Amino acid sequence: MIAQNLMLVLVLLPFVGALAAVTQPRGAQRGPAWISGATMAAGLVILAALRGPAGATWPLRASLHWAPSAGLDLAFRLDGFAWLFAALILGIGILVVLYARYYLAPTDSAPRFHALLLAFCGSMLGLVLSANVIILVVFWEMTSLLSFLLIGFRSANVGAREGARMSLIVTAGGGLCLLVAMLILGRITGSYDLDHILAAGAVIRAHPLYPPLLVLFLLGAFTKSAQMPFHFWLPGAMAAPTPVSAYLHSATMVKAGVFLLIRFSPALGGTDAWFWMVTGTGMLTMTLGAVIALFRHDLKGLLAYSTVSHLGLITALAGLGSETAILAAIFHIVNHAVFKASLFMAAGIIDHETGTRDMRRLSGLIHFMPVTGALAIVASAAMAGVPLLNGFISKEMFFAAAADWHNGTWLDNALPLIATVGAAFSVAYSARFIATVFFGPPATDLPHLPHEPVRWMRRPVEALVFICLAIGIAPDAVLGPTLNAAARGVLGPLIPHVSISPWHGLNLPLMMSVIALLAGAAIYFPFARRISEGPEGPPLLWRVRAVRLFEIGLLAVTWKWPRVLHRAAGTDRLQPQILVLVCLALLAGLGVTFGRLSPIGQRAMLAPDLAFVLMWIAGGAAAVGAAALAKYHRFAALMLLGVAGAVTCLTFAWASAPDLAVTQLLVEVVTTVLLLLGLRWLPKRNAEIPGDRLFPARLRRARDLVIAIIAGAATTMAALAVMTRPPGPSIGNWFLRNAHSEAGGLNAVNVILVDFRAFDTFGEITVLGVVGLTVFALLRRFRPADESAGRPAQQTGKAGEIDDLPMLVPSITIRWMFPVLIVFSAWLFMRGHDLPGGGFSAGVTLAIALLAQYLGADTRWIEARITVLPIRWIGVGLLIAGLTGMSAAAFGYPFLSAQARYVELPGIGAVPASTAMAFDLGVYALVVGATVLMLIAIAHQSLRSARQRERAAEEEGEAA
Amino acid sequence: MSALPLWAALPVALLVVLGATLAVLGTWGLAVLPRFYERLHPPALASSWGTGAIVLAVIIATSAGEGRLAIEAIVVGVFVIVTTPVTMMVLTRAALQRDRAEGADVPPAAKADSVQSGSADPL
Repeated sequence: MIAQNLMLVLVLLPFVGALAAVTQPRGAQRGPAWISGATMAAGLVILAALRGPAGATWPLRASLHWAPSAGLDLAFRLDGFAWLFAALILGIGILVVLYARYYLAPTDSAPRFHALLLAFCGSMLGLVLSANVIILVVFWEMTSLLSFLLIGFRSANVGAREGARMSLIVTAGGGLCLLVAMLILGRITGSYDLDHILAAGAVIRAHPLYPPLLVLFLLGAFTKSAQMPFHFWLPGAMAAPTPVSAYLHSATMVKAGVFLLIRFSPALGGTDAWFWMVTGTGMLTMTLGAVIALFRHDLKGLLAYSTVSHLGLITALAGLGSETAILAAIFHIVNHAVFKASLFMAAGIIDHETGTRDMRRLSGLIHFMPVTGALAIVASAAMAGVPLLNGFISKEMFFAAAADWHNGTWLDNALPLIATVGAAFSVAYSARFIATVFFGPPATDLPHLPHEPVRWMRRPVEALVFICLAIGIAPDAVLGPTLNAAARGVLGPLIPHVSISPWHGLNLPLMMSVIALLAGAAIYFPFARRISEGPEGPPLLWRVRAVRLFEIGLLAVTWKWPRVLHRAAGTDRLQPQILVLVCLALLAGLGVTFGRLSPIGQRAMLAPDLAFVLMWIAGGAAAVGAAALAKYHRFAALMLLGVAGAVTCLTFAWASAPDLAVTQLLVEVVTTVLLLLGLRWLPKRNAEIPGDRLFPARLRRARDLVIAIIAGAATTMAALAVMTRPPGPSIGNWFLRNAHSEAGGLNAVNVILVDFRAFDTFGEITVLGVVGLTVFALLRRFRPADESAGRPAQQTGKAGEIDDLPMLVPSITIRWMFPVLIVFSAWLFMRGHDLPGGGFSAGVTLAIALLAQYLGADTRWIEARITVLPIRWIGVGLLIAGLTGMSAAAFGYPFLSAQARYVELPGIGAVPASTAMAFDLGVYALVVGATVLMLIAIAHQSLRSARQRERAAEEEGEAA
Repeated sequence: MSALPLWAALPVALLVVLGATLAVLGTWGLAVLPRFYERLHPPALASSWGTGAIVLAVIIATSAGEGRLAIEAIVVGVFVIVTTPVTMMVLTRAALQRDRAEGADVPPAAKADSVQSGSADPL
């Protein structure tokens, strides 16, 4: 049990650390780095503890219930493979943190950097440890998002922004494919559980959905690990700060793709399709990546393409799928992470100390920084596969796997050759890196005079190079058990133990290594000068760049096509769109019901009541009048709309729906007043619209009238059809029966809102809060048309003498009504438990009280006296509602379960006390906040133009 | 409510008829009078004793029916008495300003006396 909990802690810890780091004071450098380092160190300790006693019981599983009904649990599992990956993520992470501590400039926000890094680390851990494939995809997309933020960390830089966007589009797009693949897997195997899926390999491979599944799965994996033709995002992502590159492109982000390939190879692999697609893509990527890397002039660009190439190698091994190939793949993941992280860090040091990453300018650096130079040379030798270094051994294993017989196709037969060619180019670019940067005449025109970096910046590189050497010399002692455990984690517990040795004797792989080393030297040294004078890319191929294609595509999809579409289908006038919408709705409705549904059902009709009919005639007349007047007399139309609303409200009251009536009345008041306030900002329409009485306009109006009548008649028919039929069994009866017994409230409507359907309400108030904020944001940037921006005519004296106190009596009345309305609102809130009322209507009432104050007096006068902070009301409301919901967990009930009883208060009597009441309080606060926020946004509109006028007057005064 | 005693039914009936008549008169006046300033006056019939009589009738009927002093309806009266004059006043000010801006001579001096004597003051 301890082990399970430790595993959950391991996944959650980085996120907690991220929260701690991001809340550090702005400008802090040391604190966030310590938090970040300590978090990762703690993770490593946990990992070590899990390795010890639990080693025998792998895979270790732990899960938290999340959405069990959808087959989703936050389930995690730890086996040797995941353990190795987690150790890489945390181990390299800690070195990156140390490096970043000295790399980041004081202007970079260290809290943000470390928070993002920790969150990314947590997502990677979640990805490698998750036992549920859907959760795995969630973490997968989280890594895409966080890497987007990390790559774009220096967001002022155009390259960083574009690189970040490109990587997000490619990897997140791949993630979507992966999600679909996982859903198909879940459909085929009937479970989203990783163990279950891995055990069902035979079923999956035989299923007719296997080919699309495989393609989608591989799209996900290939985009993430930058396989051709999706490799282009990786060099683009080099705009990231170097610690990010070192982390993302050595141990984490890009390795997620190969992690997935290896993890699922027992279930999805072993078929011809798998071999062709995975090994083929891998070999192509490996060779082409190595070729392109040789021709890059940018240091980090070379390393990026080298990463692409090495990922291709690992992918090819995953495609081969044999036991030795999988072991070699895992081994190479570790080796590549170690030497590539150190190389990125060394490149960062060079960039940091010389001010350039252009290899055509760098030269002879070994004279300026001998230690760093030596470290980088060892690391690139490991990258090239020089004996006694870690890269050599895994490359030997790769050669051995490539030379093995698999299925006898031409690709299989050509594997040793392609592998050797790729390795030769890999040697060539490593040689170029070493030869141009560190040897040759000392450079003289560098932006800075280079020297050794601060000691602690070099420590991580030293540590990594030491590991390179240690693995290279004594691989079995250092990594043997771990690698074997990892391979067992992938392939099952029964595979034989493999001991890894740096020397296999004189055999074919060794021959291939030697050929590659010699050929690499033969490729680079004769052409060294021509390569550095040539364009940035291999001959001929440099003109074809995937990134250009991507950009052209992106431009088309996000810029050109939308405009074409907009020109074709969009319109500046909304009327035609509404016309089309109404007609479509009409046709759809008629198509479904015509001839099948009689508008009059069997239910007995009520006798018409004269008063009700009269009321409706008045309401209908008002509605028609509103429509007729809306064109030239907006104000009158609004008043008539209010009358129609009042009739609706009376209808609800008449039909015994007092809750609806109350809500309708209050909402009607708020909308009418807000619209009234908004009318002020519409331009006047005193003159007739040109051509309004001509024949075309009349024809158009006649057409609209016909459509309106038909649509209205159809809606009436639909309502009639529903109302003249007996209601079926409805959930309403259950609510009515159980409102009091189950939830302790007599007002079933309110009980539904705050108890039975509280989760819906929670969602709705969240939406309301969002809407309030959105309206506020939109109105903040709203600038009225010029003609309505000035003072109204009544205030300037243009419309007769100025009335000094036009609102004196009303404003006093409104002020007197304020306390009355507050009491009314409190009363509505309290009675909501048993009688019509409740948090929503009470909140709207309080909002109306405030709204009325703004109507009755000057905005400044009001705000000098009452300060409403609507955003806090919204936040507090949401918090109260959410916390009330969570408090149910304290009693062992699910989210939002309410507790209700009556409490006897001395002097007052029985008072309903329910946690639903607290929830209702949250609703109340949120409704007040959202409504008042919109009101204030409109009210401040006049304040803003008043301020502008004052400023203009001041300037005039100064000028005079 | 069905068995309202006679002593209560008689005043209730009288008051309801009185209130309703006043309301109808007020509305009719609003509809037939030709000018805005003249039309301002008739609604006062409905909002003063028109409402008052109905409120009284409601109070008597409810009190007699439920056997207690039910005076909640007074709130209705209070609201009507507070809001109607205020609305009228704002309307009048707006109308005056508009008319003056258009150069009309308002309030018309010649007719002022005859109108004033025929209506109740809204306040």
